[in-house]
Amino acid sequence: MFKDIMKFIEVNLPVLIKILGFPGLTFILIFLIFAVWYQRKYLARLMTRMGPVHAGKVLGWLQLIADALKLLTKEIIIPRESMRKIFVLSAGTLSVIPATAITLIPFAKDFAIFPIRGYTLPLFLAIMTLYPIFVVLMGWAANNKFTIIGAFRSIYLDVAGEIPLILSTIGVMIWAGTYDIQDIIEAQKSIWFVFPQLLGFIVFLVSFMAMIEKVPFDIPEAEAELVFGYKTEFSGALFLDSMLGDYVNLLAWSLLMITLYFGGYLGPSITGDPIIDGSIWTLIKLVIVVTMTFTIMISYARLRIDQAIRVGWNYLIPLAILNIILTIFVKYVILGGG
Amino acid sequence: MRDMMSYRYHPFNEIVELEGGLFQLNMGPQHPISGQGRFIVITDGEIVYSIEMDIGYSHRGIEKILEYRNLMQGIVPIERMVMLDTSNIAMGYVLAVEKLYGVDVPPRAQYIRTIIMELNRIISHLYALGLYSESAGWNPAIFLWTTADREPILDILEMITGARWSYSFFIPGGVRADLPRGVKERILTTLDYLENRIRVYEDSWIYNETFRMRTEGMGVLPRSKAIEWGAAGPNLRVSGVPYDTRKNEPYAAYDELDFKIVTHTAGDSYYRGWARVEEIKVSIDIIRQAIENIPEGRIRVALPPKPVQEEALARVETGRGELNVYMYTEGRDKPYRVKISPPSFRNFYVIEQLPKIQTIRLADVPPLIYSFDPWFLDADR
Repeated sequence: MFKDIMKFIEVNLPVLIKILGFPGLTFILIFLIFAVWYQRKYLARLMTRMGPVHAGKVLGWLQLIADALKLLTKEIIIPRESMRKIFVLSAGTLSVIPATAITLIPFAKDFAIFPIRGYTLPLFLAIMTLYPIFVVLMGWAANNKFTIIGAFRSIYLDVAGEIPLILSTIGVMIWAGTYDIQDIIEAQKSIWFVFPQLLGFIVFLVSFMAMIEKVPFDIPEAEAELVFGYKTEFSGALFLDSMLGDYVNLLAWSLLMITLYFGGYLGPSITGDPIIDGSIWTLIKLVIVVTMTFTIMISYARLRIDQAIRVGWNYLIPLAILNIILTIFVKYVILGGG
Repeated sequence: MRDMMSYRYHPFNEIVELEGGLFQLNMGPQHPISGQGRFIVITDGEIVYSIEMDIGYSHRGIEKILEYRNLMQGIVPIERMVMLDTSNIAMGYVLAVEKLYGVDVPPRAQYIRTIIMELNRIISHLYALGLYSESAGWNPAIFLWTTADREPILDILEMITGARWSYSFFIPGGVRADLPRGVKERILTTLDYLENRIRVYEDSWIYNETFRMRTEGMGVLPRSKAIEWGAAGPNLRVSGVPYDTRKNEPYAAYDELDFKIVTHTAGDSYYRGWARVEEIKVSIDIIRQAIENIPEGRIRVALPPKPVQEEALARVETGRGELNVYMYTEGRDKPYRVKISPPSFRNFYVIEQLPKIQTIRLADVPPLIYSFDPWFLDADR
């Protein structure tokens, strides 16, 4: 019996480490803490502030852990006329969707949690499209006017942002000639796809900002008029869960951007071990993409929802289709099917 | 529209249903953007059918307080109307008292007053710009920049008056103290710094494409309606009415200084923000002229023992518009009644009327309101 358990652990140890350890749970939680801390420090510097400095003394690194502990110990207030089960479950499981999608992303060569090959990019996009459903459930279950308006704005925004985003990934798929995420990364060995797919990247970047719901597209949260959008009624641990969902969503889309346009785990060798090298390069690129996101976030005002939809349908979708046509033309006519 | 509003009002329940699929959103008094008041917004989720400004959450009875003070003591409470703009507010009161007593203020005091008032107007406009940018969905970068840029001016005002916010520096007959040594150079360097900073604001904010998308053509206040509804301050001037009390009925040293009134014909929210940036530039110009031309001489004169008039009306241009102070005394040194007509109160009325003449969307409500630079404490008195 004991031997069987030991054997099971021995056989499955690499998988368990992946699920609970590096690209999995621990990494995601550490990323949440890092991203929120980094956002606060980085934005604070741009605002001529210091950000957190006290907790942990050095750069306030303990502040986010303290905040998380505070939120966990606070009372969870559930509105009287809300749908209790959906209210709790939708917020509590919000982060599951993007976390599931992350399992498909290779952090190094053959180092994804869910090591399947084939149609992984369409699968990733299909999983990520489930996220707005949880958002609507959150807003609807809370039975509050601000949350309902925020939830429906989120749906409008997904209609405006998700279609151009998926269309822009089609350009990458055609250029690389594969549906597989790892093959797409391997195809970037000579040149990152951000250069041949520049038009597609611009479309991707704008709709990326819409999908992670940050300024200029943080319309569902719209603090000025909707308090906190669909998250208004959530408190304590549920708020922490919804925030986790938000940042895991950011992580998933950022990882997709890295893999599609910035060569994923590719990079010069540092330690000689391909897994460690790939992970290091992925993380470095991740930090750069997140920094870029935060810089865009602070530079713009929030658009109105009708303006965001107009941007999506009038500019992004035609540009994405143009990108697909150009990609086909360049690849099969000029380069002769390279 | 009015008959649709026969709604079931419940003060503690968020859900207030109206007929025709409309509902009431209570923005405030506990809301990220509301300030010390409440906007009752009737909406169908996107289009706003009416905005009602619910003021009075910070009513302090300043008019009544003034009746229990003598004319000199009244300077302190009236400054509490707008803490950002105290010297302009105090100027209205002091001007009324001077009219009661019929004194002529020495020119040096007039120039010192002008310098302090214009510095105060810059502070007020900077703060208004910060709040406006935040209401348009900015991360509070611009707000914190403007807040930081107020600091050097506050330091100068502290140097001159001894206080950062509420100075009680203007007294009937002059000012309390002369300019300290070295303050002129410090003001000039600060103004240079400020001019550079305004260029930064223009590049990063006023000319920002997303901000223009949000505010241009939104909340247009036509010229006729601006006059009819009584808009005040820069909000009136961008609607094409060149009315500025500093020009039309000069007080302090404004008649001796050369400056232009910032006007525009667009009258939308974007140009209301633009006008404040331009007015900061005008204020910088006025201060430079005043420092250059400031005459030597006395800084105050003594008041005669008794008022020569029973009533007086003073009008001044504060940061938010024209402030009227009407004062009636029975020939004593205590007012029988002081009536203050603040600019924000009139601007709130304009905000309430605007959804009746054009489409306002829910996301437009905060930038619309903050483009008027409202101040609830001002309206409440």
